[in-house]
Amino acid sequence: MTATTIPGAVVPAATPATRVDGGLLADIRRFGAADVNACFSCGVCTATCPLVTNDGTFPRRMIRYAQLGLRDKLLSSRELWTCYACGQCSEQCPQQAEPGEFMAATRRWAVASYDRTSLARTLATRPLAGSVIAVLLAVILAAFMYTAHGPMGGSSLELFGFIPSDLIHNLGIAVMAIVLVTGGAGLAAMVLALRRSVVVPPARPGRAVLAAAWRAIAVEALGQQRYRGECETETRPWYRQRWFVHAATMWGFLGLLGATLLDYGLELLGIKATGTPVPIWYPVRLLGTVAGLALLYGSTLLILRRARAEERSLRHSTVGDWMFLVLLWLAGATGFVLELALYLPGAPAWGYAVFLVHVAVALELVLLVPFSKFAHAIYRPVALFFLALATSSAEPAGEGSR
Amino acid sequence: MTGSSAAANARRIGVYVCHCGGNISDYVDVDRVIAAVEHEPGVVVARQAMFACSDATQGDIERDIRELELDGLVVASCSPKLHVTTFRGVARRAGLNPYEYSQVNIREQASWIHTADAEGTTEKAIALVRGGIAKTGLTEPLEPIVVETTQKALVVGGGIAGMRAAIGLADLGLGVFLVERAAALGGHVRGIGAMYPNGRDGGRLIDELAASIKARPSISVFTGAEVIEKSGSFGKFSVGLRVGGPGSETLTVEVGSIVVTTGFETYEPEVGEYGYGIDGVVTLPEFKAMLDASAGPLRHAGRPVHDVAYVYCVGSRETPTKPDGNAYCSRYCCAATAFASIQLGEADPGVRQYHLHRDVRTFGKYELLYERSRDLGSIYLKFPDAEPPEVALEPDGRLLVTVRDLLTGGERVAIPADLVVLVTAMVPRSNTELTGLLKLPIGRDGFYNEIHPKLRPVETTVDGVYIAGACQGPRNSSESVASALAAVTQSAVILKKGYAELDPLVATVDAVACDGCGKCLDACPYGAIELSAGVATISETACKGCGGCVPLCPTDAIDLRGYTNDQITALIDGLVGEAVA
Repeated sequence: MTATTIPGAVVPAATPATRVDGGLLADIRRFGAADVNACFSCGVCTATCPLVTNDGTFPRRMIRYAQLGLRDKLLSSRELWTCYACGQCSEQCPQQAEPGEFMAATRRWAVASYDRTSLARTLATRPLAGSVIAVLLAVILAAFMYTAHGPMGGSSLELFGFIPSDLIHNLGIAVMAIVLVTGGAGLAAMVLALRRSVVVPPARPGRAVLAAAWRAIAVEALGQQRYRGECETETRPWYRQRWFVHAATMWGFLGLLGATLLDYGLELLGIKATGTPVPIWYPVRLLGTVAGLALLYGSTLLILRRARAEERSLRHSTVGDWMFLVLLWLAGATGFVLELALYLPGAPAWGYAVFLVHVAVALELVLLVPFSKFAHAIYRPVALFFLALATSSAEPAGEGSR
Repeated sequence: MTGSSAAANARRIGVYVCHCGGNISDYVDVDRVIAAVEHEPGVVVARQAMFACSDATQGDIERDIRELELDGLVVASCSPKLHVTTFRGVARRAGLNPYEYSQVNIREQASWIHTADAEGTTEKAIALVRGGIAKTGLTEPLEPIVVETTQKALVVGGGIAGMRAAIGLADLGLGVFLVERAAALGGHVRGIGAMYPNGRDGGRLIDELAASIKARPSISVFTGAEVIEKSGSFGKFSVGLRVGGPGSETLTVEVGSIVVTTGFETYEPEVGEYGYGIDGVVTLPEFKAMLDASAGPLRHAGRPVHDVAYVYCVGSRETPTKPDGNAYCSRYCCAATAFASIQLGEADPGVRQYHLHRDVRTFGKYELLYERSRDLGSIYLKFPDAEPPEVALEPDGRLLVTVRDLLTGGERVAIPADLVVLVTAMVPRSNTELTGLLKLPIGRDGFYNEIHPKLRPVETTVDGVYIAGACQGPRNSSESVASALAAVTQSAVILKKGYAELDPLVATVDAVACDGCGKCLDACPYGAIELSAGVATISETACKGCGGCVPLCPTDAIDLRGYTNDQITALIDGLVGEAVA
């Protein structure tokens, strides 16, 4: 006799029961998902979703977990982060329960749950306090740097005479350290939750882990394979498609981060002091310029689309969505204005102000990685890694089917 | 030999054998049947028809009756249950007494059941038709029994259905006796506060009905009263009532019809069934009473109620786990529970409510209640039929309900609750005495049975006795009232004309042959036979023509009209006899 496992089939009563958390749904609703009570579990959303595989079904099941108060099930679900918010499920939902918005809200809730401080929760659930914190943080960072400022003026902008490069570098290192500690703690919480649901294939486990990591980080997170292949809802040129706009923003940010780190590296190696004027073709500067253009293109389009609520997934915008986009855009835009100021004759005083804003915003952006919408950049690849691992252990032959 | 007699030979009988499309003719050789019977004694014409019941063939038969001056008609087609009235009508329209016609069933009794034996089924059909012809040879014209009816009705049971029925009957100009066993009218509804779908207060509904009853002098209300005796029959019942408990006053009322609206009882869970008996585990009616009595958030045992778990189908649809339990759905309870959860959710927006169900059957417009309750935050969990929820007491005094949720991939979840509401079934009221007195038929589920669920939904096998409301099976109050008004209409049908016509196919006693042994009295399920002056007499109006008494009579003194002993003998002779031709 062969035993067949049917999904959802009755398993023996001996299985332990999970205690429901009655307040869970109300808590998640603080992060959005106002309409999710309307869901009666028909499953049209799951049937609609282009990303659903046998190893990961959502959004219906995620909504059910939330409705029943199965907190740990949600926190240990990789499916939460598999979704790229195309909004097709919300389009098709017969109950207007907005499953796509639910997924987004639950990701915000998950970020806040992984975060031990309550900063992520405040940023996501309290619009006014969140905005005040964001502005205040930038002001504090700027004010802190300004206390150490040198002279303004001269025939050209002397930015690092104005704010010492050492101060910026050390501040950057401090910010990174904070991000590493808080983000690392969040990641650890997530990994602990997720690994409960994953079996590493017994044959060649090391290879499986490496393959899953490659698939999650290179193919999916950086390569955006499924985002590109499955989640476009409209016919439009590639440079206007959702995945490309997102990729431009992401690659732009990573490029700028890389250029900044390289610049610092060159100084450490004594090749080039930070702030030394270099021609446009100088590799690090070229990288920064191209990446900045990409970031500006991507973030501008993202902001415009969100402002016009052009797509189904953009109907519900939170302060957190705006905060993240505005910070990204500001970091990119002030960078270019600065570039302009550097090559203008004379040294306009506003150049120094823009510089201060640029550095403060960039530092804040990085500092808020574990707490803001930026957190998806660290949590999503991990979830994708576990998904890839589960897929490979379930189907060694290759990719999962729908 | 044949079953024919000299009388039969003098008859002019028409025989019509039906193909029923192919239902009959695919297996029975109709040509052979015709050939075999067309020369039977008394047969003037034998024809076949593709569909004997079609308008065209009915017209052909009518023409034959007139032109050939037929005095007997045999239709060999399907079961008499289907078309007896059709062909009686054919006879009547053509001027032939309807009781001169016999139905022979060669479909259910031949073609459908002997499909592998064409030869045998054809022979059987021939025999059946011969029998029918022989029996028809001895028919006599019969006239319907005309009964004068008393212009009054008795309503037994003064709940919402009985009260509404009484008002309806009174408004038709009939006198009404309304009998209620309890001390006050109103039944279950009187004790319910806000009722679905629109929140009308049950007590106030009953008050309004009671005022309407009071305003109608033609309604006599007896509370604390019971039916203790019934005699007579359809159109003229004589019913004994006891008013005010044992040893108190009795009286007799004369009525033409009886409407039974005795309602239901609420299922009482056994101790331990879903934790019943633990403090905080209550039935839906108990919970509803708590809700109706409280304004704002609910409290129980001195504590606020934050979490409520409803366990559906307690006492209903039990067979998956209890093979001899109630198989039926109690029908009213899904909507009632959804409504109660709305009531609580509106009074206390912070309350959390879990509905543990097999299915949600908030049919029709009650679906809106289901939606509204979900809007207010109610969570619905479907559990497997064979694995109902478990209720346990926690050390902290709270309750814990464990259930497998099929919509979460079969996850087992434990729900802490302050109250567990058992959504209890409607069960039949035990009314042995009344049931026996009125000879009310009881179905397998224990509720009273109507004759036909679709076409005769309030009539019983006892003429003049109607059933309505939840004594017939689980239903909500609006459905109960609808059926009560149907019973009013059916009462009016027999009472308003002042007389009624009954089928004359009843048993008769040959007073000379009867020796008064009384065996037939025991055989009659309808109480239609009495012994008077040493001779059995059968009430034409009470007799249903079942024939149960006929074979028991040692002196063959009883004959059943339409199926007389001579006719049955002739039929058997025809059935087993040789062909004449």
